[in-house]
Amino acid sequence: MELHQVRYFLAVASTLNFTRAAEQCNVTQPALTKGVQKLEQELGGQLIYRERQLTQLTDLGKEVLPMLERTLASAEAVRRRAQEFQRKEVAPLKIGLAPSISVSLVLDPIAEIAKFVPGLHVELRQDTAEKLVELLLEGEINAAMVGDVRDMPVRIDDWSLFEERYVAVLAPTHQLANRLSICIDDLRETVLLERAGCDVAPKIQRLYFPEEPPHLGHCSGHDLHLQHMAAAGFGVFLAPEHMPCIPTLKTIPIEGDPIWREVRLLAVQGRRYSPALDAFVKVARLRDWSVEVPGRGVPHATVPETARTPA
Amino acid sequence: MTTTRTPAANRFQPIDPQPDDAPPMPNQTDKTFAEIRSELLTTFSAADWESYNHLVGWLRDTDAASQALKVGDDAPDFLLPDADGRLHSSEQLRRNGPLVLSFFRGGWCPFCTAELCALQAAKDMFESVGATLAVVTPETRDFPRQLKRSLGLDLKVLSDVDYGVAVSYGVLFRVPDETKAHYSGLGFDLSARHGSPVWMLPIPATYVIDTEGRIRSAFVEPDFTIREEPAQILASLRRAASTC
Repeated sequence: MELHQVRYFLAVASTLNFTRAAEQCNVTQPALTKGVQKLEQELGGQLIYRERQLTQLTDLGKEVLPMLERTLASAEAVRRRAQEFQRKEVAPLKIGLAPSISVSLVLDPIAEIAKFVPGLHVELRQDTAEKLVELLLEGEINAAMVGDVRDMPVRIDDWSLFEERYVAVLAPTHQLANRLSICIDDLRETVLLERAGCDVAPKIQRLYFPEEPPHLGHCSGHDLHLQHMAAAGFGVFLAPEHMPCIPTLKTIPIEGDPIWREVRLLAVQGRRYSPALDAFVKVARLRDWSVEVPGRGVPHATVPETARTPA
Repeated sequence: MTTTRTPAANRFQPIDPQPDDAPPMPNQTDKTFAEIRSELLTTFSAADWESYNHLVGWLRDTDAASQALKVGDDAPDFLLPDADGRLHSSEQLRRNGPLVLSFFRGGWCPFCTAELCALQAAKDMFESVGATLAVVTPETRDFPRQLKRSLGLDLKVLSDVDYGVAVSYGVLFRVPDETKAHYSGLGFDLSARHGSPVWMLPIPATYVIDTEGRIRSAFVEPDFTIREEPAQILASLRRAASTC
């Protein structure tokens, strides 16, 4: 397929009008129609119902639309980067992070894209996953990194980046601090600091504390608050393994590593990707996250097959 | 995910784990790609043959390769992450000499892995004439890293996230349903590998691009079992160098 065909189709999809789409693309209507037809042949079906009064996307059209939008954005990002650079524009990038996602995860990607996106200006926001999804849809942020999310709206693109386990975090003076690993039964006997708005808490409760809820101690939605409270001896809390801890704390794995979550990247479908956002999404989707979680960054549960040449 | 499972360390085995000091795969420099291809074709099952004939026939019928960029065209610029998430721009890659840019389908395709090994073996020769080699895959996440590790590759493996570069070069196509069914049956989930719900693949293609960004040679072959011989690429590089 060719880039101009994709562009023509996206113009028709957004205007639902061949005449206006042709104007938008600066081509004649027959040329536009022909381009869309060629794309339809290649994709193996009609993308658009052409009715006199009503131009509509077919199911196939709706299926391929988000992907073709991303492909076009990706293909055009480089040209737009050059234009931004010539116009000496600031390149804003607003990233939302859920409370259980450390800023340490995005520092290296930001440093990497700063080399290629002149004028990069990053703004970070922290909020709950649900709120970040709202902010994405409102256009207040461009991308978000979150843990497990219930009910993802269809207009959100979401990619799994890596999986990580939860570990126990406590003060070195805590009675469990000398263990090599802590089992769930130990956690039943101790005070657990409560992480407000925690995405894995309901699952932990359901699976490991079905009869009796854990002894919950003080509560905060901020990881740093929990760290300082744990350091003060107020209890143990569970944290995703990538989360950096203040030096006065110990992290101990939970026996059998029962608690896992996926870290996901979110962006809005169909928005024009800025060159900065395009680069961020690309780097995030290729980054070796095991750097953050030494020896643990397992990006997916199934081991891929790589074909080997028979020797 | 809060499920009971074995620790990642035990669960996560790189394909064909290789200790870091293991010698890389023996390269088959004594064989041409065509010879390796013939060997690979002998391993085809009846279903493989059927799927192969169907896909190549479909690509020829739709004339998909005719849209690919040709000699003399301007090569579209790009900015792509490599297997470790480091970005590379086309301007940088062709700054000091011609760029050999090879699109392949993925680490799951034996013809691709054979081609990558052949390119790896020829890499020093390309560099001796001042050229840079980069290979482009539609695969994302850690698939390119796994591939490099399992084949012992020291190549720039760029990931064409969301297919933007393949479409700019006119080598992208949507995988027909029959082919999709066959590959799914073999256990290859291109959605998961590409991070894209719609299955797309590049037609394998090798381009030589000069320092001005102009295409000096183009090898685009709908028959995915046929790749440009490294010796041919080298000849193109030498030709390009003599006509600068």
